[in-house]
Amino acid sequence: MKLRTRLAVATIAVMLPMTFALFWYDAVARHQAAEQNLTEFVFGQMPAAREACESAPSSFGGELRPSRPLGPPRGNRPPPGDLPPPPGPGPAPPPRHPRPNAARPAVVHAYDENLQSKNPDAPDVPEALARAISGQDVAIASYVFPTSSVELLARMPWGTGPCAYVLARGTTDPTWGAVLPESNIWLLPTVAVFAAMLLALGPVVRRIRKLTEAVQRSASATYADAVLIEGDDEIGVLARVFNAARREIRSQLEEKDRREQALRHFLANTTHDVMIPLTVLQGHLATLREDAAAGKPVDVGALVSAMDEAHYMASLVHNLAATARLEAADVKLQRSEVDLETLVKRVVGRHRPIAKQLGVSIETAVPGEPVTVSADVTLLEQAISNVTYNAIRYNGPGGHVAVILERVAKEAFRLRVVDDGPGIPEAELSRLAERGFRGNEARSRAPDGQGLGLHITHRAAELHGYRLTLRPSEYGGLEVELEGELDAPSG
Amino acid sequence: MGKKVLVIEDDQELGTQIVKRLRDAGYEPTWWKEGRRLSRETLPDVELVVLDLMLPGTYGMDLLKDLRVFSEVPVLVLSARNDTADKVRALRLGADDYMTKPFWPEELVERVRARLRRPTLGRGEVVEVGALRIDRGRREVSVRGGRVEVTRLEFELLAALAERPGEAMTRSSLAERVLDPERDGTERTLDVHVSRLRKKLGCGAFVETVWGIGYRLGDGRDE
Repeated sequence: MKLRTRLAVATIAVMLPMTFALFWYDAVARHQAAEQNLTEFVFGQMPAAREACESAPSSFGGELRPSRPLGPPRGNRPPPGDLPPPPGPGPAPPPRHPRPNAARPAVVHAYDENLQSKNPDAPDVPEALARAISGQDVAIASYVFPTSSVELLARMPWGTGPCAYVLARGTTDPTWGAVLPESNIWLLPTVAVFAAMLLALGPVVRRIRKLTEAVQRSASATYADAVLIEGDDEIGVLARVFNAARREIRSQLEEKDRREQALRHFLANTTHDVMIPLTVLQGHLATLREDAAAGKPVDVGALVSAMDEAHYMASLVHNLAATARLEAADVKLQRSEVDLETLVKRVVGRHRPIAKQLGVSIETAVPGEPVTVSADVTLLEQAISNVTYNAIRYNGPGGHVAVILERVAKEAFRLRVVDDGPGIPEAELSRLAERGFRGNEARSRAPDGQGLGLHITHRAAELHGYRLTLRPSEYGGLEVELEGELDAPSG
Repeated sequence: MGKKVLVIEDDQELGTQIVKRLRDAGYEPTWWKEGRRLSRETLPDVELVVLDLMLPGTYGMDLLKDLRVFSEVPVLVLSARNDTADKVRALRLGADDYMTKPFWPEELVERVRARLRRPTLGRGEVVEVGALRIDRGRREVSVRGGRVEVTRLEFELLAALAERPGEAMTRSSLAERVLDPERDGTERTLDVHVSRLRKKLGCGAFVETVWGIGYRLGDGRDE
């Protein structure tokens, strides 16, 4: 239901019963006034008319007209016993032109003690009144809305004879006891208020429509346009609240777009990064196949390069997956109890085959006691794997790599990856560290770049609260040190 | 007769490779190409299970759960998903080790070997590594049956290395264990002691130098 219709229906639903109640109350009040008037009229007139009644009971009855019109009563009260002189029982005076709703003259009939009338024209006394008269002087017929007739049975003070009871019938008069004004002009303001209300709603409805349009416009422009509705009223407030909601949606959309962009970027990089080693690998395989076809001896160098490319690709894919995790707005570590000794052995075990092929020796040392930390096993493993693989990859044949896990000061561990490869100059190291080991050249395959792996190691250490230090090793290569607290003391 | 290994791997190529490598390494692999519901009756008599988590039909984790109800056989899990939750779950369900694809065949064989290797009794009274015999109770050292006189410090050094034969120990941890910090407790001193000990033990590298780390007790065959 529309706002205006709703308001109209609600108003009508309230106004109709109210008006009816008013009319009803007015009618009851007028009836009461008429009853009183009639009662007082009967008691005022009858003593004077008694004689006429008792002398000719068979013809007594009919309109008993006062010499001047009754009332109007003040308020609900009829005029006090200031009754006009009784008229004769003769014919009614020539009719005046009464007001349309004015009271008709009262009709009176006389009855004896048994409520029988000598006048054959007299109506029978209604049974309800006959019953009600016993024990009281006046019995009044109960009011039936919306009739205007008033009927009462009165016991005369003398109480005997053919005129012991009088049945009087009359009508109400709009001037007696009315609550509402006689003319219905009073309804006009009510209707006016109703109309005003509907009219006043007009601008409100218009503002709401404007707001609706503005919101629709904004929505169709993916909430880029502001909703401009002035005003301090509730609609203005609604518009401002909507604007706030719009900004929130907008920022979330932008965040989503940003992430999607990052994802696309990531996918493009992944493809690029994986395709290069894959192409190199294909090249090596093709060479090997051609050599084999030509009956040449197997080129071990090409074979090892092919293996190295495959190994590099595996590490790259793991790193790209780790990067995807680390680039999320908030990285959640999935911590669990991790035995560093097992982890170190696993990492070294993974790279040992390729190290062997590349002619790099890799050794590991672990303490005799368990080194347990609470960490995200995938990230930590990738972090350690990256520095270990870097140490192998950037080393040459005859080179060495040592991965050493130690417990220090009971509650901490220290992991060192030492190599005797080309190393990184100290100036370059501090420059890399400042940028979190992130950079264009860190992505590249160039031997001096440490690959995207070092940045992951840096981020993983940061997230775990471990300290990562890179320094020239005593053997001329690089020494990467990772230090941290043991979270779960072995029990 | 090699040790029996059950390989549960759905990929034809990978399965073929794994089975071939294990056979070459002297094991007796049984290959299941799909996951089956395991029960005490259907599990073959094997000493190790290599389980690929990504199996059609039965999800590898369910298989692992089933297996652990009635068997303590070591399980090496293979997974293509490098995902922490998966690993943690697999270990919680009773996997002994996991490997993330891709891996070199060599690594897999090494892992299987490590799982099936009997624990070295490095902490017993007597340790024998190759031709070297160290008797902790009597504090005696002999090479190829001949007694070698060593100093108290040299014996401590050998005993420390003998706790984990074949594993490298850092010079700093060895120095901390056998040298008196009050006196000349540097790693340089340790090197001097090692050099003297080597001379006493004669030919064969029993005390091997490990680059960047320290020393290791070898079986005297290398070098």
